[in-house]
Amino acid sequence: MIKRLSLLLLLVGLFLINPHCANVEQNQNIIKSVRVKEVPFKDLRSSIWKKAPVTRVNVIPQNMTLPSLQTPTIQYINVRSLHNDNWIAFLLEWEDKTRDATVDVNKFTDQVAVQLPLDPKSLPAFMMGNKGGRVHIIHWKAIWQDDIEKGYRDVQTLHPNYWVDLYFFSEPMIYAEGEFPLQPTTVDYFITPEALNYIPGAYARNPISIFHRTQPVEEAIAEGFGTFTTQPKQNAIGWGRWEKGVWKVIIAKQIVSDDPNDAPVPEKTYIAFAAWNGSDKNVGARKHYAPWVELVVER
Amino acid sequence: MSVTSWLTSKVKNWQIRREMGYPYEESRPEKQIAYVFDINKCIACQTCTVACKTTWTSGKGQEIMFWNNVETKPYGGYPIKWDLNILKSLDGQSWDKEGKYNGKTVFEAAPPGERVLGWLPEEEDYSYPNIGEDECAGIVEKGAFFSGIHKAWMFYLARICNHCTYPACLAACPRKAIYKRKEDGIVLIDQSRCRGYRECVRACPYKRTFFNLVTRISEKCIGCYPLIEKGEQPRCVQTCIGKIRLQGFLSKPDSPQKDNPLDFLVYVKKVALPLYPQFGLEPNVYYIPPIHVPKEFLYQMFGPGVDKAIETYKGAKDDKELLGAFLLFGSTDKIIRSFKVEGDYALGFNDKGEMIAKVPFKEPVYIRPYFDKKVGTYRHNIP
Repeated sequence: MIKRLSLLLLLVGLFLINPHCANVEQNQNIIKSVRVKEVPFKDLRSSIWKKAPVTRVNVIPQNMTLPSLQTPTIQYINVRSLHNDNWIAFLLEWEDKTRDATVDVNKFTDQVAVQLPLDPKSLPAFMMGNKGGRVHIIHWKAIWQDDIEKGYRDVQTLHPNYWVDLYFFSEPMIYAEGEFPLQPTTVDYFITPEALNYIPGAYARNPISIFHRTQPVEEAIAEGFGTFTTQPKQNAIGWGRWEKGVWKVIIAKQIVSDDPNDAPVPEKTYIAFAAWNGSDKNVGARKHYAPWVELVVER
Repeated sequence: MSVTSWLTSKVKNWQIRREMGYPYEESRPEKQIAYVFDINKCIACQTCTVACKTTWTSGKGQEIMFWNNVETKPYGGYPIKWDLNILKSLDGQSWDKEGKYNGKTVFEAAPPGERVLGWLPEEEDYSYPNIGEDECAGIVEKGAFFSGIHKAWMFYLARICNHCTYPACLAACPRKAIYKRKEDGIVLIDQSRCRGYRECVRACPYKRTFFNLVTRISEKCIGCYPLIEKGEQPRCVQTCIGKIRLQGFLSKPDSPQKDNPLDFLVYVKKVALPLYPQFGLEPNVYYIPPIHVPKEFLYQMFGPGVDKAIETYKGAKDDKELLGAFLLFGSTDKIIRSFKVEGDYALGFNDKGEMIAKVPFKEPVYIRPYFDKKVGTYRHNIP
């Protein structure tokens, strides 16, 4: 009996030890947010982050609804958290061999998301909440990061030599002497409602079709599968960088917010995670997830 | 979650003559938008394609998007191999003698983890919208030109969204961003709700939903609903110079109205057939099959009704009512809700019973004198 128990403990121990991250200090049962004076919201290399302990959060393929993810390509996310009484930030790190930051019919972008309950005392379902049990989701995408840093990822980003004779109502049609009119290579040439009529997602003000993003994150609320709804007020911030096969992404939100759709951050709450690998065509429900993890905010 | 537990409803699919599993209950619209395309008359002039393109998909991000296309069969296809890929994965498509489909639909054949059996095209698959244009199925034998009918064949297949009764795009969308309108059965993607997961692109076996890489969401044929709401036929139908198309509304399969030209051609005469009915979507673009193409090819494409459809089509010259219905193709921009043959005219009526089309069975011939005395000039035999 003791032998069997020892073997079991050994196996559990092996599972919890992450071979890729020797300095993991905690298991995935708890994330501690450390109080600091200044939170480095955009500085992914800041030494201040080292003040926060790393929690390895294992993620598994989504298998609760269809479509599901059959084969995982992400095993875990290393999570650190800092706060300054006004803002709480999470530094998420995970291995991804490819940087996927464009989209086309068969191209998908890398993504990560955190989720907090609107009512931590009555914890909703960890997979996007449940009816009456709302969750607050903050979603970061690599393509949004590039939209902000490099300009809107457009047709010419993927296909530089793309040429179209005419886009209706695009402006200004600039004629250089003796040359063809300037090809409207960016969405900025489409300003009028008539021009936007041919870009229906933008015309309909779809939150996915925003050409001038200010943050690479989107805030949403949800209460079950398929209910992801963009919040009217966007007040979360984020920043991400891919280096040598590792994504590092900061997602931050206000601790006290006047937005009723934002989750509160008491001393003890919960947080869940999701991650998508673009090169493996992860999108939507084809994702990796981690159920609720306890989040303790040190005051 | 298994596929079988997800297909919670048993719905009636009249095209495969059996019930099938679907994630939502049977909910047929008040009237179903439907089209009849006479393949025998199509010359692939692409006027429909251009009319659709200039009307709806000239924007940035829609460059490779054709809601309407005309491809040459057997080798053409847009996106490339749209039909071969799904036919290959949907194994065992057999029909019994009574016309009941014994194989699996794309819903019933969904692999583990998927809502629908589908596949996601590559970008390159959209790069050649008219690949295989005018290519015959084989080489014409030497001398065959002079000895009668040769065996080489091809035909043009005009394709739009089928506004299916059981859309795979709708079934696959995890956000329920795709809906089928109760008033006319048009299937639409809510442009404010879609998040660009491309599940619909993957699921639609006809590949009639498209991804817009500028808006980063999906789009599809909207059945020209602004025209439909005004009582007019869609752009692709109005502009068809070959008059191969007729758009109207199909009644429910258990209550066909003989004076409705769509019901008459589809339910009564059974001369127009659905495209790949075995997929199980109950598509609502009905094709009069090409009469010169090998039957095996047509059986696979249009199901077991091919022989009767071709026989009926060939007999149209002796069937005044059927010929009358055919004459109404391209006769008006308005939607014909009922028709009748009166004397030597085919008459079409709108939903108020007002006559909107009057087509003679035989065009009257007028011969004008060579010299026009009124203006004192000769008439030349030029347009």
